[in-house]
Amino acid sequence: MFALEFPPINEILRWSDVFPSFNKVAIISVLAAVIASVIFLIAGNADGSKAPKGVRNLAEAIVEFIENQIVMPTMGRDGLGWTPFLLSLFSFIYLCNVPGIIPVIQMPATARMALPLFLSLLVWVVFIGVGFKHQGLGYLKNSLFPPGVPGPLYILVTPIEFISTFLVRPFSLTVRLFANMLAGHILLVTFALLTKELVQGGNIALVPVGILPFFMLVFLTAFEVLVAFLQAYIFTILAAVYIGGAAHPEH
Amino acid sequence: MLTAVVTYGSNGPEVLLSASEGEEGYSEYTYADCSIIPEGKDPSEKIESLGKCDPGPSPIVPEAKELYWGAGAFILFALLMRFFLYPRLRRSMDARYDSIRGAHAEADQARSEAEAEVAAYEAALSEVKAEAASRIDAARAALEQERSAQLAEANARISSARDAAAAETAAAHEAIRGDIGSAAATVAARTVELATGRAPDAGAVSAAVEGSMTSGATR
Repeated sequence: MFALEFPPINEILRWSDVFPSFNKVAIISVLAAVIASVIFLIAGNADGSKAPKGVRNLAEAIVEFIENQIVMPTMGRDGLGWTPFLLSLFSFIYLCNVPGIIPVIQMPATARMALPLFLSLLVWVVFIGVGFKHQGLGYLKNSLFPPGVPGPLYILVTPIEFISTFLVRPFSLTVRLFANMLAGHILLVTFALLTKELVQGGNIALVPVGILPFFMLVFLTAFEVLVAFLQAYIFTILAAVYIGGAAHPEH
Repeated sequence: MLTAVVTYGSNGPEVLLSASEGEEGYSEYTYADCSIIPEGKDPSEKIESLGKCDPGPSPIVPEAKELYWGAGAFILFALLMRFFLYPRLRRSMDARYDSIRGAHAEADQARSEAEAEVAAYEAALSEVKAEAASRIDAARAALEQERSAQLAEANARISSARDAAAAETAAAHEAIRGDIGSAAATVAARTVELATGRAPDAGAVSAAVEGSMTSGATR
């Protein structure tokens, strides 16, 4: 009977530096920013008077998606000023997620803790800053002492609100993105290695069985396409909800 | 029991099968020692190079270099998006939307004008149709009147012709009756004369013939 012992997680995240302090994850991050910039640069330079097609069509579809599916439902028309920030978040996270299924690269930059942590802290700083800008010190009062709650319950509600609003939000944003992408990466590695071992392990009898993990690998690869989009969308819409909530406490 | 040990090193994924102590193929190698084993090398050789083993990055702790590069890339991209890329794209999108909205307004106006023209045309058409109908009705009434007049005139002509014909027929009838009466009286008088040897009274014969003809005609 065979048993497959998988390596520790840190083994599948080992990437040697291309040059000092610049590894594969850094390459993906920089490439994501460059590719997104180039897409919107080309789109901006295209003739805007004609019906959009190609790259411009893609860029306009992303812009309208952010405006109609993220900004308007969460922040309303007043939130359209946040479109560039949310557009940047969505594009950058998506382009950092997608390399997880691109052959040769096969590593989502968001499967490492650094990038999700930075983006979450940035959103955290932004929504707290927006809260103070729009409500002043009343932001703390509205956040920690929600109106309509009986006085004695504040003993219970205020610490919960403090923890959920100011501590858990950045943590949950970080872990949701990081853990989903890392889990997907581990699943792909697992089924890739299982397929390879069954097909090339030297045991003829196990070669037909190798088709099963291979199909699972194909399915999970397709699933990761969806996950890459979904995680970028979830991160962005939560950022919009937090910012919108800080700007409009009545919501 | 054989155990598959999967490693992922600089040469890509590697899978080794190891046996438990006492089994055939057992070696001192354990995964925890070091994960990277050069291809084709004996695990015991790997154990000698433990000092070079790298456990790999922690999956939880953020690496500073990834944080710096990722943060730098995103901040630059976000600034570029905020001050250059998005406004440029949005402006051209707005210009196109404005032009589309303008074209829609023009199309609506053209449609309204066309609808007004169609309504005016239909009103004029109705008017013309109504006038044509009234003219047709007038012509039809005049025609009917003329037809009735001509019909009455024809009927009158036919009636007078019929009366004249009836008068002629009655006259001819009376003439023939007279001829037949006188012929019959002559024949009757001669017959009586031959039979009796005497000539009968002409008046009596004529009266008898007349009576016989009258009673025969009415019988």
